[in-house]
Amino acid sequence: MQSMEYAFFMQLLLVEDELEIQGFLKTSLADAGYEVDVAGDGGTAEKLASAKVYDALIVDLGLPDQDGIDLILRLRRLGVSSPVIILSARRSVDDRVAGLEQGGDDYLTKPFALAELLARLRNLLKRNAAASLSPTTLQVGDLELDLLRRRASRGGEVLNLSPQEFVLLEYLCRHAGRVVTRSMLLAEVWGMRIQPDTNVVDVHIYRLRGKVDVEGREPLIKTLRGVGYVLKER
Amino acid sequence: MSSKSDSKRFHSAAWRISLWATLAFALGTLLVFAGLHQFVANDIQRRSDAWLSGEVGTLGDVAERTPKDRLYHRVVGEVAELASREVPNRSRNQGKENDSVFFLQAGPTGPARLWVGAGDGEANLAAIRDQKVVPDVPFHLNVKGFPIPFRVVASPISDGSSIYLGLSERDELRVLRNLRARFLWLGLLIVLFGFGIVFYTTRRMLGHVREITEAASRIGESALSRRVPTTGHNDEIGQLSRTLNRMLDRIESSVHQLHTITDSLAHDLRSPLTAIRGKLEMSLSEAGASAKGEPMIVSAIEELDRLTEFLNTSLDVAEARADALRLTRTEIDLDEMMRVMMDLYEPCMSESGVRMQLRSGGAVKVFADAALVHRAVANLLDNELKHLPASCMVTICVQAENEAAVVTVEDDGPGFAAEIQDALFKRRVKGPDSSGRGLGLAFVEAVARAHGGTVMASNRAEGGARLVITLPCAREPLEPSGQAVAAGSG
Repeated sequence: MQSMEYAFFMQLLLVEDELEIQGFLKTSLADAGYEVDVAGDGGTAEKLASAKVYDALIVDLGLPDQDGIDLILRLRRLGVSSPVIILSARRSVDDRVAGLEQGGDDYLTKPFALAELLARLRNLLKRNAAASLSPTTLQVGDLELDLLRRRASRGGEVLNLSPQEFVLLEYLCRHAGRVVTRSMLLAEVWGMRIQPDTNVVDVHIYRLRGKVDVEGREPLIKTLRGVGYVLKER
Repeated sequence: MSSKSDSKRFHSAAWRISLWATLAFALGTLLVFAGLHQFVANDIQRRSDAWLSGEVGTLGDVAERTPKDRLYHRVVGEVAELASREVPNRSRNQGKENDSVFFLQAGPTGPARLWVGAGDGEANLAAIRDQKVVPDVPFHLNVKGFPIPFRVVASPISDGSSIYLGLSERDELRVLRNLRARFLWLGLLIVLFGFGIVFYTTRRMLGHVREITEAASRIGESALSRRVPTTGHNDEIGQLSRTLNRMLDRIESSVHQLHTITDSLAHDLRSPLTAIRGKLEMSLSEAGASAKGEPMIVSAIEELDRLTEFLNTSLDVAEARADALRLTRTEIDLDEMMRVMMDLYEPCMSESGVRMQLRSGGAVKVFADAALVHRAVANLLDNELKHLPASCMVTICVQAENEAAVVTVEDDGPGFAAEIQDALFKRRVKGPDSSGRGLGLAFVEAVARAHGGTVMASNRAEGGARLVITLPCAREPLEPSGQAVAAGSG
């Protein structure tokens, strides 16, 4: 499975003081194949992070003993360079987080979709592992995308896609086999962090599906209700 | 550009203060000069009069003692001639002919017995006879043919005639004219100099006030951590900036407190929401096989997401009402943003039979929080999607107008219901058929307001609703706050 290929042997440090959240995050991260250490406060996190090299850190900003940002900055000074996913209950991205984000880290506002956390984690680890690898074609089953000529074909038959639809399909293909949420699509394809209470994204997917999953072909784009979409064979 | 800054300078308080101060200064100087002028004029006249009285006495004596023979004319004439050479205030570079002094001896009638002076003395005698003369008291005499009057003293002598000694006031007037000319130039110089000094000082003073005003207005629309510049002096201006800074401290701390409250409220609500959502998602993946519980879990997650969005918007609106919405500003091209919005919403709109069009005259740059503007516009379009009947048309219009960016979203649908017209931007106000929570327009207004803009909602005359969002156009990003912090702590 493609989704597993990065997860094995990946060591994560989860810094979160809320036991409820800690519990389900640990379980679902472990289910996704990560090895997870948990710290309930900044002090413990610092000890763990300086004793062992983690592939990624997941840090909640509201820790009992200190501010999450301060913890990240201190870890950076200690030479911990692993990417960080920041979890925050603060509504707006504050300036200091915006500064950190430029360093390749990521930011999620609570409550978040588990699928999204996993997707962002994969992105982060992949970006870290093989940043230079940029293919010119993408292939999922009999679906083929030519990234240079911006053309998609299925079973050799060219699909008549608008530029916007191509970008959407490209994003789904790049995350083939993994769940992408509506807010991920809105952020990555349209560049906006909004949460419309209408089905704008669904209509785009519906139209794309109409062109990609034509009669007689195996449907590739699947809807996971309440979560998002996934593009995969079978 | 320069005429604009000129007119600004002429309307400044520094200019007005300088003008008034200079006027007062000039008036004062003028009064002092008038007094001085009067004093000098009197003094010169007193001296002339003293000379005249003395000389006329001497000449009277001489005239009386000299025998009235044929040498009489010569003797008295010589004496008068000599006397005229010692005229006070006299300038030396006069012509040979002495026309500043005359000596006249004449009876009450008949021609002059003796005349020493320029001309034949007829006019002088005629002028003297026209006046009532009091002996030994100097008087003014205007003589026909002489532009400048004479000062004359009469002295009766024993033979019944009088001798008159006249001194032209020309030299006196010349001295005074010189005095006035010098004063004019010197006074003008002093007044100009005074004006310069007053203008410079008040400008400097008021420059500080202007800096404070500018800094304060910037603080109003950006980071509250900035402070107005302080001069370091303990004068009124220094006190003003310190008072303002103390006030800003208090405002900052109450805004900070508000943020703390909304943040902790958000945090307290979000943590359980996160836990619930996570658990629902996990049970969804477990229930994946048994499709029985799935729809309920999915709808629970969707409800939860709506609740989260409502919580976010509620808190944003609350903060914006208190002018405490936090902005992360970047430069945005509204034209481009609306095109992307069109791309996003067009399929959904056409699915419900609504057409969409964009009217734009090119790039319109604003310096704003992209995420908030996205959400505000998405809110409006969501509204259209939910309320517009099929076969309607939504028009988005982007234009720049007088340093403001204007985004108009209008439709040709039924328009706003009459009963909510006046309360469109209030929280919880919604149309009778609306299924939303009535936060949409309040949020749009909050976003516009946080950016220093406005929102107007109305029904179009030709039918349909129109919403006009106005945002101030792009400006240079404010300089980093470090400088102001340093100034504030000083």
